[in-house]
Amino acid sequence: MRTRNSDKQSLVKQKAIELLGRDGFEGFSVNKLAKACNISVATIYIYYKDKDDLIISILNEESRRMAESMIRDLDPQLSFEAGLRQQWKNRYAYMMENPSLGRFFDQVRSSTYQKHFLDNFMGLFQSTIHRFMRNVLDRGEVREMPLEVYWSVAFAPLYSLIRFHFEGQSLVGHPFQLSDEVLWATFDLVVKALKA
Amino acid sequence: MTNIDHILLFKTNISSFADKQALKPVLDGNSRIKQWNIDLNDCDYVLRIESDTLSAEQVIHLINHHGFECSELL
Repeated sequence: MRTRNSDKQSLVKQKAIELLGRDGFEGFSVNKLAKACNISVATIYIYYKDKDDLIISILNEESRRMAESMIRDLDPQLSFEAGLRQQWKNRYAYMMENPSLGRFFDQVRSSTYQKHFLDNFMGLFQSTIHRFMRNVLDRGEVREMPLEVYWSVAFAPLYSLIRFHFEGQSLVGHPFQLSDEVLWATFDLVVKALKA
Repeated sequence: MTNIDHILLFKTNISSFADKQALKPVLDGNSRIKQWNIDLNDCDYVLRIESDTLSAEQVIHLINHHGFECSELL
């Protein structure tokens, strides 16, 4: 009799995220994944019907997990600064704990799987964020602006710093490590830029 | 959740969509097969069958009978 081995199953998930993040969807195959995990191809097919089933099921699970971690402790009643600070904390913690997931989701964004991501990510995430932003705008704390502009100012700086951190160097080749000091100094600049 | 003891896995040469379509009536029509799938993206063209009653040998025989290679994926 076969036994359902949850260690093996999480190894398969972890390796799939790493391989997909590194090589993208084109070069990915169940065979490569089995080799990377040092298990037989059959073991993977016990859990997943095919490559697509595997990718979609991991993506659905991880998208929901990402949404949950991004709105953790985000009370929609918080002031703009406190709420944005909580979101930075959440996103920062999530990215630092899961470096390969960042690359995995980058690959997803430019693939046909993006729809699955949005379907699973948006629900709870969107309603919490919407309530928070509605309150902030009602109180006149932030200027009205297109969502894309808001996002680019509010979060892109955080992701740039994290990218420099993982690459270990800044644009001009200087060694770079993201410290809490730099992180929150950047945050203060962002808040200043967005506040009405 | 699927009982993993009832999943049978095979390496085949069912390599094209046309091959898969050719086998579709055979596999769909077999009442002992609860679900089946062929991964055309894989180099082993893995045939995955969920069945409470079929043995691996019976599946191999069935697939061979329709002109395709089939061996148990270990």
